[in-house]
Amino acid sequence: MKEHDENRMKNLLKLAVPPVGGEAEPGRDLWPDTLRRLDARPARVPWFDLALAAGLLGLVAAFPASIPVLLYYL
Amino acid sequence: MNTHPYLRAYLAGVFVPTVVLPLLLTFVVIRLVHQVPIPVEQALIFPMAVVPLLWGLWNMLWLWHSPRTHLPIGLHGAVLPLLLMPIGATLASCVGMLAIGDRGVTWFQVAHVPYTLIAPMFLAALVGYYLVWKYVVGFLNRVLGIA
Repeated sequence: MKEHDENRMKNLLKLAVPPVGGEAEPGRDLWPDTLRRLDARPARVPWFDLALAAGLLGLVAAFPASIPVLLYYL
Repeated sequence: MNTHPYLRAYLAGVFVPTVVLPLLLTFVVIRLVHQVPIPVEQALIFPMAVVPLLWGLWNMLWLWHSPRTHLPIGLHGAVLPLLLMPIGATLASCVGMLAIGDRGVTWFQVAHVPYTLIAPMFLAALVGYYLVWKYVVGFLNRVLGIA
């Protein structure tokens, strides 16, 4: 009886889990999906980042001598 | 795409300094054409060699610790100037491109920066790095499948 239950369990598991074939790679090209996902992402920039960018541009405009120094560190 | 994630992180990290480098080379061209007596090419050792290397390594470091710390990539990038600025200033000082005076420092023998401006410029560098890392390096990491 016990052995019968084990065999039954094995069969149930085999039915529940599909067999893994030899082909591990996807059957289609995934790159177009990646590109679509990147394009679909809304390009919303938070106001905080806009304020920081404006402050940075303001400082650079007020002190142009800082431009070569900042470029030096990029 | 799970192969070589650290190599991809390095390549994404070096992208921005590599793009900026031709802009710096224009200073060398201007010097050669107009025969400006300032050897700016000596100062290019830092942005040509050290900065891209550290950007790449910094992005690899982010890839390594982000699953555990969940630190946003912008904040991670904003920390990098704390490491870069002392190294850059030391190198520039060694090759004579940074002179320390009574009222401020003089970069490249022409750009005088008073001491009162150093703190705002440091903050500007932090902000610039934050924005570039958040929007450019973050975007490249997503495109390369590591973020």
